[in-house]
Amino acid sequence: MAKKRPQLSLDELHQLKWLLGGVLVLLSVWTVFYLEFDAWVLMGLATAGVLAALARPEWPARVPAGMHRLVFPAVVLFFLGDLWVTGEVLPAIVRLDILLLLYRGTSYRKKRDDLQVIVLGLFLIVVAGVLTVSLVFAAQILVFTACALAFLLVITLVETAEAGGPPAGAEARPRWVDVRWGQLLARVRAVTDGRIVVLGVALFLGVVGISALLFLAIPRFQLENSLFFERFAAKKARSGFTESIQFGEVTEIQQDTSVAVSVDVTDRSQLPATPYWRMLVLDEYRDGSFRLSPALRLASFTRERTGTAVHAVVGTPPAAPGAPVFWTFYLESGISRYLPLLGTFAQLRFTEIQNYRLGAELGLVALRDEPMAMTAYRVEGMDAGDTMPDAKLVAALRPGARPGLVPVPARLLRLGVGEADRVHLQRLVQAITGGADLPAAEFTRRANRWLGQRHAYSLRPQIAPGPGDLLVRWLDSSEGGHCELFAGSFVLLARTAGFPARVVTGFKGGTWNAYSNNYTLRNSDAHAWCEIFDRAAGVWRRADPTVGAGNAPAETVRGEAALARRTDRSWSARFDSLRVFWYRRIVNFDQRTQVETLRAVKQATENTGRQLRALLAETVEQARAWLAEPWDGRRVAKLLAVAAGIAAAGWAWREYGRGWWRDLGRGSPGRRLDPVRAAAAGWLRRIAESGARGADEAGVWADLQRLRFGARATWPEPSAVFRRARQAVRTLRRRRATRA
Amino acid sequence: MSAIGTSLPWTGAAAPRARRQFTWNALLWALVFPRRGQRIVPTVSGVLLMVLALGIGTAAYNSANNILFITLSLLLACLILSGTLSWLNFHGVTWRLELAPPLRAGQAAAIGLALHNRKTFLPTYGLWFDLGARFTGQTPPAVAESTLTGRGLDVRAVLAQAAAAEVRGQLFLRERLDPLGTARLDWTFRPAHRGRLTVALTGIGSLFPFGFLRKTLSIDVQEELVVWPAAVAYHRHPVAAERRRAGGEQTSVAGSGGDLQALRRYASGDSHRLIHWKASARSRTLLVRQFAAESAESFSLWLCTDAALWPRPEQFELLVSLGATLAEDLFRAGQLGSAGLDEETPVPIRHVRDLEQFLDRLAVVQPRAGAAGGGEPSHPLGATARPASHRNLLTFAPDGARGVAAYLNGEKTATA
Repeated sequence: MAKKRPQLSLDELHQLKWLLGGVLVLLSVWTVFYLEFDAWVLMGLATAGVLAALARPEWPARVPAGMHRLVFPAVVLFFLGDLWVTGEVLPAIVRLDILLLLYRGTSYRKKRDDLQVIVLGLFLIVVAGVLTVSLVFAAQILVFTACALAFLLVITLVETAEAGGPPAGAEARPRWVDVRWGQLLARVRAVTDGRIVVLGVALFLGVVGISALLFLAIPRFQLENSLFFERFAAKKARSGFTESIQFGEVTEIQQDTSVAVSVDVTDRSQLPATPYWRMLVLDEYRDGSFRLSPALRLASFTRERTGTAVHAVVGTPPAAPGAPVFWTFYLESGISRYLPLLGTFAQLRFTEIQNYRLGAELGLVALRDEPMAMTAYRVEGMDAGDTMPDAKLVAALRPGARPGLVPVPARLLRLGVGEADRVHLQRLVQAITGGADLPAAEFTRRANRWLGQRHAYSLRPQIAPGPGDLLVRWLDSSEGGHCELFAGSFVLLARTAGFPARVVTGFKGGTWNAYSNNYTLRNSDAHAWCEIFDRAAGVWRRADPTVGAGNAPAETVRGEAALARRTDRSWSARFDSLRVFWYRRIVNFDQRTQVETLRAVKQATENTGRQLRALLAETVEQARAWLAEPWDGRRVAKLLAVAAGIAAAGWAWREYGRGWWRDLGRGSPGRRLDPVRAAAAGWLRRIAESGARGADEAGVWADLQRLRFGARATWPEPSAVFRRARQAVRTLRRRRATRA
Repeated sequence: MSAIGTSLPWTGAAAPRARRQFTWNALLWALVFPRRGQRIVPTVSGVLLMVLALGIGTAAYNSANNILFITLSLLLACLILSGTLSWLNFHGVTWRLELAPPLRAGQAAAIGLALHNRKTFLPTYGLWFDLGARFTGQTPPAVAESTLTGRGLDVRAVLAQAAAAEVRGQLFLRERLDPLGTARLDWTFRPAHRGRLTVALTGIGSLFPFGFLRKTLSIDVQEELVVWPAAVAYHRHPVAAERRRAGGEQTSVAGSGGDLQALRRYASGDSHRLIHWKASARSRTLLVRQFAAESAESFSLWLCTDAALWPRPEQFELLVSLGATLAEDLFRAGQLGSAGLDEETPVPIRHVRDLEQFLDRLAVVQPRAGAAGGGEPSHPLGATARPASHRNLLTFAPDGARGVAAYLNGEKTATA
């Protein structure tokens, strides 16, 4: 007889509840890792406290009862003080939440306190998910849900076990606190039925599947309200993309290989060989730093607008033949409030309502605030070339134009250095041009060559201290430098030579993810380059003076050939493909996508049905044709082989499969019930359920009982008994049906 | 008639008799219109889940944020999982009441509830069963409702009366009910008085698995039992001398007297001399002769239930209790010859079964209106209805305002 599986006692259930509650608290407070609020100290405290309480559950009993009365006022005071000092509502609420979780995780809980742990933890995770739209949220909410369901299950079992008994008093030291976790886990293992675990996992996967279906099917209405959480949290820049270049700042970004932007493109042939993703134009050089001048900001950026669609009216490229190309950008949080773009565009559409300013001539879009969560936008009609027309500048430079009407050229030619440095720069330009009046493209080529001959690439340049401008001193030295130094120096040289020039910051290059088929830009791809105005063509022409930049024109290599060089098939690309899937299919899911998905599902269902029907008809037809063929020994042998295979599979399941499934339920093969005894038990049960037995069934019943309980030496032939048992069950059922 | 060790048939959705053919129409109809008696009430955590779902749903629609939609979907999916697990938990469980009379007023009685999990590999957790016991034959409890004209006090009194008429209890399945396993739960209660008692299993409920919803299913399994009168303490008076002189009355309980009482099967230890060879040959089974006990004195017990004689209900109850107690004591001592009520001929009490039948009658006896004709209270010591043929007749009469006295041949022999 199979040994009965043990059960967890009430104390053990309490211990399990304590463990699961602690795990939930830890899971919740660890959101701080990616939430990036200043709650590290509290998170550390909560982690240490909960771990200590898990290791030694008897410790909370040592806290005097009076202390618990002081907790609520202390927490309220902490929250008010936090609000008063920081003035930020959401971070203060998050810290309050962590504090409450810390208290609940380190004190004995009643049922309502357990529910509080779940609600507080869920709040923290949802806030983190909403604010960051991180893929970590997906993993965390799944693990949290699984733990919370297990926690609720144990709470229910505890409640049932205590039901009807005396009400649980507020004991200072509960009985269950003497825990030996190793023993408890061994007990849990002993009481766990492997089959139930399999079923539990399957059910949880079912929950995930159903929630995915619900997510797809829940009707959506685009109310276009902005997210309320962001109003209550201060923004904090993480990268070096500010509105000015402080030399050396890029170094930090280049060491960071995390993903900054993911780009989907509907026509990959439009991808340039080396894409330059423009984010910000810095036109003014002063006091050793480049910045976006207020004048350019005023002249080129529109007033702030609110909405989801951005229509560019200037510099829109002519519509390309064929289907329109759409670029979908997923800009990670903490990068910049300036959106990376290849150039001017026809239309840009956000997935959520945004406050933005458009610099149409500059090909730039700036959000009001740096987004805390991933920002997705879709661009149509984007020019990916290396030139950018500037009609205003052309007009300003035209001979006879009224001076002062458009002040832009003067600023673009201003050096912002002292007289001695200016003279020195003129000497350098003289050395580059040889005194000739060169066109912009030729000047760019020579200046790049000159810079490349004198300076190597270095992330840690050592510029010798001394008087004068820092860039001029670097130009004068043979010290290595990074992209900003090259770009800034080029701009000074170009302006000295009489070319309007400006620094552009953004990303260069990137990799093509072979798994998710998208472009991935990492923070290490951050770059600075220049744009020099070509008077003859009336366009800004891209110039990248950084050593090894490879100034091949973008038009020369495009599409698949370009992608082949940049394809990434590494493990990090696999992980990034998950992130892109998350952005494409989950975060960026909207009403339009929902309709498309439902249509696709409908289409797929219809297609599958059609294919199945066709397959079935074809199979039937083939079977008929096969049967109609003349029979010979080979065909008979083939048929017999198939039948034997099926029979062997059935036999294997009967002999091994069922035993394995039963063993899974018993946990240990040592307690395996003999298959004959098990089969006899099954027939006994079926006969008992089939109704009253007559004299005919008495013999079978006795034989089955002998097989089930008797000594092996006294067994009758099992297969004969089982055959009789089958007949007896049929007879009994028929008899019962007749009576009914 | 009280059942001894009665086990009612298995009931429940998975019981062999209850299995119905599955149809999709029935399933869909059950989803649209739940069966009568099915109640689903959200618990605190259930309300919390709903409030959370509503709040997150509102925020999701307000902001079109997919993170919130994901959370909402997960919450709803958890609710679906909860329903599925709950259905699996109830599914395959059958139950039956196991009654073990006799029940006696004022004494603890145990009603057994046998559970059987017919599922092959899924256990069942955390069920509870609502049981009730109500005396039948009483005024039916008033419907617990109020009216505009009803006064608060009246309504409360009616409600209290209705509540007092029924003893309610809950049994909790605290441990896991293994697949194909059985369990037995015992409900212990104390019947307040004698009478016919209907024990009913009225509902089965569960919070399993996550405690979001309190699900209860109405069940109608009931069985009637008889509660014997309570045992009472009585004071015995020394009046036996006269009876001894009279020589007593021979009882018909088994003994070694001269009168053949019956034949019974041979048992190990019986004298071979007692074997009735002729009867044994006819029945092909060894039978021995059983003789009546010799010189053992026996008593006849007679209760007069005239309402005029017993105007006070509590005194009548005391009469019945004293009668039952004396009957049992005398039977245990082998001295109860016969027992009867009112004009009926006293029934010989030879076996336990006879005694139980008499106690069953005492359990439900009520004061008899208009006994002995004329409306005059019939005196138990000289009433016309008194069985004249019996010597050692035990009769009963009020003893003061509250007490009851037992008289042996007209002489007070015990008081309670």
